[in-house]
Amino acid sequence: MSDTLGADPAHGRQSQGMQGARGVAKSATPAPPRAAAHRRGRARMRLEIAVLSAPAIIMFLAFVIFPIVLAAYYGFYRWKGYGDPTDWVGLSNYKLILTDPAFHDVLWHNGLLLVLSLVVQGPIAIALALLLNQKIRGRSAIRVLIFVPYIVSEIIVGIGWGLILQSDGAANGLLERIGLGSLAADWIADPDLAIWTLVAIITWKYIGFAVILMLAGLQSIPEEIFEAAQIDGATYWQIQRRITLPLLGPTIRIWAFLSIIGSLQLFDLVYIIWGPYVAGTTGTSTMAIYMLAQGRNAGNYGYGSAVAVVMFVISLVVALIYQRFVLRRDLRGAVTEGTV
Amino acid sequence: MTRRIRSTTGAAIGLCVALAAAGCAGGGDDGSGTSDGHATVTVWTNAMEGRGAKYWKDAAKAYQALHKDVTVKIQSVQNEDLDGKLQNALNSNSAPSIFLQRGGGKMQAMVDAGQIRALDLTDTDRANVGEAALQGVSIDGKVYAMPLDTQPEGIYYSKDLFKKAGITAPPTTMDELTDAVAKLKTVKVAPIAVGAKDAWPAAHWYYNFVLRECSQETMQEAAKSLTFDDPCWNKAGEDLAGLLGHTPFQKGFLTATSQQGAGSSAGMLANRKAAMELMGNWDPGVIADLTPDKKQLPDLGWFPFPAVPGGKGDPTAIMGGAGGYSLAKNAPKAAADFLRFVVTKEQQEAYGKAFDTIPVNKAAQGVVTETYNISALQAFNKAAYSMQFLDTVYGQNVGNAMNIAVVNLMAGKGTAGDIVKDVKAAAEKG
Repeated sequence: MSDTLGADPAHGRQSQGMQGARGVAKSATPAPPRAAAHRRGRARMRLEIAVLSAPAIIMFLAFVIFPIVLAAYYGFYRWKGYGDPTDWVGLSNYKLILTDPAFHDVLWHNGLLLVLSLVVQGPIAIALALLLNQKIRGRSAIRVLIFVPYIVSEIIVGIGWGLILQSDGAANGLLERIGLGSLAADWIADPDLAIWTLVAIITWKYIGFAVILMLAGLQSIPEEIFEAAQIDGATYWQIQRRITLPLLGPTIRIWAFLSIIGSLQLFDLVYIIWGPYVAGTTGTSTMAIYMLAQGRNAGNYGYGSAVAVVMFVISLVVALIYQRFVLRRDLRGAVTEGTV
Repeated sequence: MTRRIRSTTGAAIGLCVALAAAGCAGGGDDGSGTSDGHATVTVWTNAMEGRGAKYWKDAAKAYQALHKDVTVKIQSVQNEDLDGKLQNALNSNSAPSIFLQRGGGKMQAMVDAGQIRALDLTDTDRANVGEAALQGVSIDGKVYAMPLDTQPEGIYYSKDLFKKAGITAPPTTMDELTDAVAKLKTVKVAPIAVGAKDAWPAAHWYYNFVLRECSQETMQEAAKSLTFDDPCWNKAGEDLAGLLGHTPFQKGFLTATSQQGAGSSAGMLANRKAAMELMGNWDPGVIADLTPDKKQLPDLGWFPFPAVPGGKGDPTAIMGGAGGYSLAKNAPKAAADFLRFVVTKEQQEAYGKAFDTIPVNKAAQGVVTETYNISALQAFNKAAYSMQFLDTVYGQNVGNAMNIAVVNLMAGKGTAGDIVKDVKAAAEKG
């Protein structure tokens, strides 16, 4: 069976080649027959690639590259957004951004969120994944519960938590009912608490995604390795520390990358709960909020565009550095020869 | 080979761009007249539903009955979405013929970009609207918007809650106001509601202190120089900080909105969780929408912003908005005519009733029967002068910074001096 199956295609290919040679001989073209056929095949393939990928490329150019170029262009102007920009100011917008204490504040907030996302979500997610990777009762139910917040849209999460955590909201109500009324606080409006409230909501929202990633990573580790380690007498903790975590490395690094980029671009939750005017006051503003507040809300579209460019450059640099130094080993082999 | 593929791709991109452009052009309706003399006038308003939206539809119908060759299309755009959509429409030459104009810096920017047209008013039109209202929407002597109502700002309050707290008369001085605040706390309501999440409602407290502390000349001069060096700007901030010392606002006011839902500042008034709110004349309409039975509070009252001792501003002066409806650059003639139509007495009476407000046409002000509107109208007619909302006067850029600085002050994160400092920094960016 396997013999004939294996032989047939080879035979077919051979006869095709011969036909091609014969055809070429008749038409008396000087070009080497095989190369011509080969070239025709390649051209066809390229055309197919072009046609099939064109819609995606056009969308990408129109909705990703073009806006970036446009923002870079507007960033050189003072522009109120009505009519065409005419007031060229060179790099003055960028100078103002880099010296604006409000921008330093939002950079600090983004950095804090980035670090806290990593150090808070990472360990919790790994611990939960290890727990849920074991055969425990109600495992599927727990997985679903942890993952649900991730599916819910950010707008609903923002409105929901915003209502629960406001000063006369459900959270304080609950605290009072169970006799912990002294702990009640103005969770979102108090500038000392707001950023921690934000971190808590982000953790709640995104932990499910991290857990699912980690679980997938765990399941890709072959069972045999654990068995071998067990036979060699390794304890549970030794196995986790020496085998599971290192083998989970690529997953953790990819998750951290997504988390970092997400932290740098955080917008929706802050916008919904605090809004662009109060976010700065409560210490929860981010670069994206600053962009909106300075651009759209203040009507300084040139300045806002420059902020967008700065944000883009920061994200790009962080992403490149991370790929170069952290993801290097993981990406090796992932890039196929065909696209090089 | 590769070249051909590239050109194919190029052609494809070109085609898409062309299609997109055609799509844009096709989708836009600039409302210009057609060759057979029939004209289409499009109107963008922020009145979404209820009596307000109905007013515009009725006005369109009434106008069409008089002018058979004109079609008036009313489109309601949600208030917060309006500015962005309008800006895109103006920049892509697909603006509606007539649209809600906020005035101030935004109107100035539209004039600078040549996107709106000055109104050509007859003496009758001028008489209908009144010179004072026209002044608020004029740039270099040309009128760029048709005002439809007067917008005196003041404090809306619940007469019942005042009575319950033992307050006999509306406060006329700051001391009386803080006294009222203390009394209202004893009846377990928030004395004053404010929606600081939107920034401007909080900032209006500062504006009104400025109105009392600064002279009219100082405020007008600042619109040109954007310097804010007069000590009165600081003094107004300190007054606000002083008021804050009495914790007059509801808990968590920093993240409360002003007009959306029961938890908003207007909603708190509508649901008797708060006794006062400083607002413009659109507030009664908003409050009525947020009461449990969607009817106006029967005990809603109004009083002007209290006097501040020693201020240079006239104690009768009133803060108010100046906006209206503008004409796009290439709006048809009929559009200008429609704007003239809506300031006639009959239309203005319907407008005043529909929006629960004070129509700009004095002849139509007989429809003002609600006590809060009567109080506001009386104060307005008595006022030595009326000053536009400061964020409008000083432009979006500076105004926005001023609003946020006031929020900072109210959150205890900034001083009166910071307001002036932040405003100056913003002027650099614009």
